Amino acid sequence: MLTIQNLHARVGETPILKGINLEVKAGEVHAIMGPNGSGKSTLSSILAGRDEYEVTEGSVTYQDENLLALEPEERAWRGVFLSFQYPVEIPGVKNIYLLKAAVNAVRTHRGLPELKAGEFLRLVREKLKVMQMDEAFLHRNVNEGFSGGEKKRNEILQMQLLEPTLAILDETDSGLDVDALRIVGEGVNLLRGGDRSIILVTHYQRLLDIIKPDYVHVLADGEIKLSGDFSLAQRLEKEGYEGIRAA
Amino acid sequence: MTGLDTLLESRQSDAARHAMALGLPTKRTEAWKYVPTRVLARTAWIEASPHVQQADTFGVSQGQFVNLPSTPGLTITQGPLTDSESAQLARLRGRHGFQAAAQALADVPWVITIEAGQQVRLDLTHFANTASSAAFGLCVIRVGANAHLHLDERFEETTDATKTLSEWTVLITLARDAQMDQVRMQTAGEGAHLFHTTHVTVDKNAQFRHFVTDFGAQLARLDLTVDLVGPHAHTQCHGLLVTGGQQYHDIHLDVNHCVGHTTSAMTYRTMVDGQGEATLNGRVYIAKDAQRSATEQSIANLLLSERSRVNPKPELEIYADDVTASHGCTVGSLNATELFYLRSRGLSAADARALLQYAFAERVIDVLGDTAIRTDIERRLLGTLKHGDLIRELQDSIDV
Repeated sequence: MLTIQNLHARVGETPILKGINLEVKAGEVHAIMGPNGSGKSTLSSILAGRDEYEVTEGSVTYQDENLLALEPEERAWRGVFLSFQYPVEIPGVKNIYLLKAAVNAVRTHRGLPELKAGEFLRLVREKLKVMQMDEAFLHRNVNEGFSGGEKKRNEILQMQLLEPTLAILDETDSGLDVDALRIVGEGVNLLRGGDRSIILVTHYQRLLDIIKPDYVHVLADGEIKLSGDFSLAQRLEKEGYEGIRAA
Repeated sequence: MTGLDTLLESRQSDAARHAMALGLPTKRTEAWKYVPTRVLARTAWIEASPHVQQADTFGVSQGQFVNLPSTPGLTITQGPLTDSESAQLARLRGRHGFQAAAQALADVPWVITIEAGQQVRLDLTHFANTASSAAFGLCVIRVGANAHLHLDERFEETTDATKTLSEWTVLITLARDAQMDQVRMQTAGEGAHLFHTTHVTVDKNAQFRHFVTDFGAQLARLDLTVDLVGPHAHTQCHGLLVTGGQQYHDIHLDVNHCVGHTTSAMTYRTMVDGQGEATLNGRVYIAKDAQRSATEQSIANLLLSERSRVNPKPELEIYADDVTASHGCTVGSLNATELFYLRSRGLSAADARALLQYAFAERVIDVLGDTAIRTDIERRLLGTLKHGDLIRELQDSIDV
């Protein structure tokens, strides 16, 4: 589904990614862990199409297409979804407007009919229940005045509505208390299965205890230094990045 | 010879001669330096012909009121003015030759009086001038003690691109405990050149709330002056300029805290596209003895194209030492992170831009609450935005 080969990227003159190689097959869940500043969020942003990074070398192929040549919305239409580490507040735009516009934009480009108001409201209410969110969230401005936990839940709500093929969750666990972590984790688990692939970017094992990855990769200094199964995450939790590096 | 000289000469009055001697303001006049005044001087303006009766809508046509409404608590006459009103007009005349010319060419001032304690709602339409004509009008609005006037002003929308010129000067006095809400939705035709001057005097405990949206006209300039002359007088002035094509929109605001314990709040937003240009000059003056006064001002400007231009100028002039004052002014384009967020959810770049522009405007439109004119303003806004139909569909389809 996704093949990243020798990906190099920089911001300004500073190189961030220095040759990433990663293969994600349909239905797989990959966790990318690594210390601060290792390039995890840069990788997530590049996959979603943020243009502040310059790809200097390498390629990203998604469903046999050159992902890097696509605009952010074209990636969304093809099923790429990024759950932001810092979800953006948009004063003046009601959450429900964003959700409905997004759902129908994606449906249209997938050859599905747009949802009518009643159908959409039924769907969104069902998903709100899963995420244990109040309906009032729909009528608030996008992420404005939301707590950290509410913002992350809102991201997963969007993910549930958009039903992506490739979901990239960038530090979705950061800023969450234990209960919110469980709700978010279970919300993601509901989407697991079939051909849907997930890339989890995280610092800690605690999210991985809820969403068990098939593969764990350690990203450091812009490269994937180590790959393994879930036991690698457990080792990291015990020994830390330094311990792994020393070994 | 200016474009108004022929009209002024025909008047044969001292006022007209005085106006000609002063001459029209030019780029060298500080408060007019961005205004494309050449159109005033280089157009052979002709006298507005007598107004055509417009159905039964109360309005201003060629500088005159037409279809006067009959409402309890409201009287509308032509003159006479009080001494202080005459003196105020004279002070305005001294500002520049265009105001002097406008007064010289206007008929006897109209006087709207709201009796003390009465609540009156007025809908007023500014009708388009006849082709190539210049029209000038004067009006005085007196809102009595504890009275409340709601004045919603709309503009006739025409597709006629012929140049027209309108000047409309209004003096407003709010007596003690009076209130006035004035909402102006300017959607004049593309040939219109509008110059409106409003001077408001707000007495003790009185409140003046003003909202302006400029969508239409080739050139629209509003000079709004609010004098807070009684303790606990309050004013709120808000506005949204939606400027595109080769339009020029201009608001010059002067709020004068003449006595203590007075408050003012101002929020203005401009969205400028194409080769449009918008000027927003917001000056707040707090006199030496106006202690315990408070003012806040926010001006935000959105430049939507490379050739668009804004001239924002917030000014605070404070002579008292016990006041609260804040002001903020920003100029920028749409937020790249917000755009990316929306696009990453599948919205096209054009839809994302429309949604963010709408959100930007909504921040100021919100002060209008749930009113008919707000609905009209939103409809017009969505009609102006490229891809505004997305938002209209969302609004229509989601019953919130």
